[in-house]
Amino acid sequence: MAATETRKVPTYCYQCVAGPDLLNVVVQDGVAVKVEPNFGVKEHPAGGRPCVRAYGLVQKLYNPNRVKSPMKRTNPRKGRDEDPGWVAISWDEALDLLAGKLRAIRDSGFVDDNGYPKLAVTFGAGGTAPAYLGGFPAFLSAWGGPLDQGIGSGQGMKCVHSEHLYGEFWHRAFTVAPDMPNTTYVLSFGNNGDVSGGVIGIWRHAEARGRGARWIQFEPHMSVTAATAARWVPIKPKTDAAVLYAILHGVLHEHEWQRVCDVDFLSRMTNAPYLVGPSGYYVRDAASRKPLVWDAKRGAAVAFDATDVEAYTLEGEFTVAGVEVGPDEQVIEHAAAVARPSFALLREHVRPYTPEWAAKVSDVPAETIREVTREYLEHARVGATMDVDGLTLPLRPVAIVLGKSVNNGWGGYECCWARTLLAALVGALEVPGGILGTTIRLNRPSSNRMESVRPGPDGFMSQPLNPTSKKDWQARPTSRSAHKTLVPLVSDGSWSGALSPAQLPWLFMGDPPPKWPEPTPPEVWIVGRSNPAISCWDTDLVISKLKRFPFVAAFAYTQDETNWFADVLLPDATDLEAYQLFRVGATKYIESYWDHQGVALRQPVTDSPFDTRDLTDVGTELSRRLGLLERYNEALNRGVALGVPLKTPQYDVSLEPSRAHTSAEIWDRACRAATLALSKGSEERDLAWFSEHGVFLVPFSRVNWYLHPEMVKKGLRYELPYQERLKRIGEELRNRLHEQDIRWWDTQLEEYSALPPWKDFPEIWIDIARRNGKKPEDYPLWLLTSRSMQYSWGSQASLPIMADMARHVKGHFAVMLNAKMAALHGIADGDEIWVESPIGKQRGVAMLRAGVRPDVVVAIGQFAHWATPVASELEMPNLNALEPIDLSLIDATGSGSDLVRVKVYRARHGER
Amino acid sequence: MRWGMVIDLRKCVGCQTCTIACHEENALPPGIFWRHVVDVEVGDYPDVRRTFLPMGCQHCAEPPCVPVCPTGASQQRPDGIVFVQYDMCIGCSYCEMACPYRARHMIHDPGWYFGTPTPSEQAARDPDRHGVMSKCTFCKHRVDKAPAGATPGVDPEYTPVCVSSCIANAMHFGDLDDPGSNVSKLREEHRPGVLLEELNLKPSLFYITE
Repeated sequence: MAATETRKVPTYCYQCVAGPDLLNVVVQDGVAVKVEPNFGVKEHPAGGRPCVRAYGLVQKLYNPNRVKSPMKRTNPRKGRDEDPGWVAISWDEALDLLAGKLRAIRDSGFVDDNGYPKLAVTFGAGGTAPAYLGGFPAFLSAWGGPLDQGIGSGQGMKCVHSEHLYGEFWHRAFTVAPDMPNTTYVLSFGNNGDVSGGVIGIWRHAEARGRGARWIQFEPHMSVTAATAARWVPIKPKTDAAVLYAILHGVLHEHEWQRVCDVDFLSRMTNAPYLVGPSGYYVRDAASRKPLVWDAKRGAAVAFDATDVEAYTLEGEFTVAGVEVGPDEQVIEHAAAVARPSFALLREHVRPYTPEWAAKVSDVPAETIREVTREYLEHARVGATMDVDGLTLPLRPVAIVLGKSVNNGWGGYECCWARTLLAALVGALEVPGGILGTTIRLNRPSSNRMESVRPGPDGFMSQPLNPTSKKDWQARPTSRSAHKTLVPLVSDGSWSGALSPAQLPWLFMGDPPPKWPEPTPPEVWIVGRSNPAISCWDTDLVISKLKRFPFVAAFAYTQDETNWFADVLLPDATDLEAYQLFRVGATKYIESYWDHQGVALRQPVTDSPFDTRDLTDVGTELSRRLGLLERYNEALNRGVALGVPLKTPQYDVSLEPSRAHTSAEIWDRACRAATLALSKGSEERDLAWFSEHGVFLVPFSRVNWYLHPEMVKKGLRYELPYQERLKRIGEELRNRLHEQDIRWWDTQLEEYSALPPWKDFPEIWIDIARRNGKKPEDYPLWLLTSRSMQYSWGSQASLPIMADMARHVKGHFAVMLNAKMAALHGIADGDEIWVESPIGKQRGVAMLRAGVRPDVVVAIGQFAHWATPVASELEMPNLNALEPIDLSLIDATGSGSDLVRVKVYRARHGER
Repeated sequence: MRWGMVIDLRKCVGCQTCTIACHEENALPPGIFWRHVVDVEVGDYPDVRRTFLPMGCQHCAEPPCVPVCPTGASQQRPDGIVFVQYDMCIGCSYCEMACPYRARHMIHDPGWYFGTPTPSEQAARDPDRHGVMSKCTFCKHRVDKAPAGATPGVDPEYTPVCVSSCIANAMHFGDLDDPGSNVSKLREEHRPGVLLEELNLKPSLFYITE
């Protein structure tokens, strides 16, 4: 029977942060039947096309395994073997139940006896949550007291955490991208961008390959990106920093650095000329405390910002007068100190890291390292320029990108430092063709990288660091992840709690280290789009702690392994069922940088098939029940959750504070405010307009892709190569912790080095066997994960259509082993095998491949579900169940790498 | 006029977006894929190549699946599109056996992802296709809708959905007989090859390799 009415409803998919990807949902007679690209948005850099995941949204909407109405737990006992005994309840009863628990917190005080917020929230992964929470964050703002976002669901382990923190510190690059439209040469260390780069990244990579750009992939197995690369270099896990250091060595010792480097960029845009004294701090002018540089023309040291320096000196040794400023304002006076430019110290630092040395560490041949070094320098085209919207900018078409597990955990700092420094050496930092930051999360305003560039100390950008001074250091943790106490770099913004050592609550709950307030189970934990019982390491440990949580409210799509422990399930309106206006374009996450910027609407495409509720309405209802409605509306009026204030001197579309508004009313105001703001008052579009058109865009100059013009305009330098500030912070933090007699963080403090040395990073993971009373030699293989484009971040594990697609991807539902290695172990293709680490074992099916290192095992994604419908029928191991949450695996930023030492062996048929 | 595709294997990333877009556009049951991307690995460690090869009906100019059909259900249009006239098909599978590209798929029963149909499956189902042979139609229902002035392969709404959904811009559709078409220009520039050329079936899918 032919449909009588067919509509195309524009909306977006934000199941990964590379979006929002724009799409249309085709609705026939009120039933959503398929997803199509939104070809009408000509401004989209990838032709308005979404990726494979978006096409699962229709099945996601009608999935009969969804939680169809609010549910209440009737079994008071919690455990994997304890059926929750769900019974359906009304939304009123569910919201009353949650509001009652929240009211009890407000009545008794926000913080418990150990100093932790009684309310904790955990939402989503990879930064996707804000695009689905609707107005709910305004409720959290109206809450009025502290809340804890530090109970982790995998952050730090599953993201590029080192890049997030150091990238934003050095060049406002919470995520780093190659300037793919202009670059001609990319060195990728495990960056699986043809899976994780989003549709824009994938489109641009493909176009670059079409025009002959070279992408060299260093990775232990042949991922999708290694397959599309010009060359695959199989590298030993966690030795990426060694190869990067050898490339640094090559540039600075095997080539004539004065010829191949961008000396002017180093002199004027970095701290390369800053003089460093005998204590490892800048030598400063005694009066102004400004760092000194050596002016060869004058034959004298002058302040770094002297306007008339004619000849910055990057090498040599000079006797100067001045002071060094160490930790805790310690002043070291010098009448005549021997000082050297930081660049000279850098050259000395990397001298031992020869390609031959790196070859022994990494298995990458020395000649390969020399070859890529030479190619990198040739492609850098130092001296070239290009015109960008009328502005002449340097053109340096070379980029180095890093992947997950290279870019977090131990070694992440060293990789980030070396990568960013290699860009700086040839002037390829934040210029056309080079590496770019595409988003910021710790600085403000988060929507504008350029405005976040503000002068800070010593000629560098400012950064909102958590204090480490004796006076201001936060000795008592304010969150269970202790972000203010342990991680100065992570700052104290809305993202900070979740970006800190979010494994610590699971590790320390019930078993705190000495001198540390035990992280308590929160009185109320609200969790949504997040499944830490699968996505955190040491899932058995997580489950053992979840059992102790007294009240868990879960925004629930289906039953899953975390909401199995919940007390109330709140089925939120999901992707195609709720309103939200979200930023699109400009520069934003991963490789999402556009020639336009604007906002896109997510909207209900048809009536919800079940008794779900828009999270904006949930936030409104909870606010009303708790007497917080006015504060909630005021938060919305300030732009909390909406991304744009509803009232400014230029316009006023604010909500009347004293009454409850529907989600449609609230987002209508957001539509009006956003369009007024983007058009500078000339255009106002309401919800009805967006419901039809989907997206509103205005031009965004490409000049804004690059930080360089802003840095030049503001006379600022990049804080590279020398990390004086980090060294000082680390020493101050050590002082503070030792004053409290806390020494279990000492290893992490070693990361704070001005010029980070190579450490034997692989040994940290090998040692895990010893720490668990086992022999390292019994676990000879590295188990790694790799991104699944079909599943990652999308809450799609219960969709059978995704499994149908993923089965076409080599090894997606198998354990991939090197064929020759497997033969030695008597394992054949298709055999059922055990993968065993020092803390547990997981079962899977072997797939033998040539494109895997002999010492490596690969399992894509994260599965091993036992409660999620459909997913629990997939026989896939989960690395997370095999990797311990262990302090020795957590770096100074609080992150850890997804890899673990294992052995593999055949399973007996049917063995469980 | 002869419709055809040029597929750039340098660009394909094997993401299966085309696979799911086709699956949804044509409301196919679980496990039936008129086209998908084959993930191929060859060589010995460390000298390994992995290639993503979009596969589907090649819409051969000399289609072996057509003459073997005992009822005349398997047909070829003047514009080269090979298709099954469902109401003539008796499901004998001769054509499936004849196709060297494994591009034909028998749909024995409706098949639902969750045992019973979801509202979207119910709304999009095509009962004419049950118990008969099925295959890629080059999305003729889209191509044939192109109004005057619109060009399949240029205007995405009138282009096979696998091409218009590709996020790597790896696939192109157009008139192989028109020297000015996008596909003809790509053939001229890159000299793409065909699969199983030795069979001389004159496929309409061309693959750019290097």
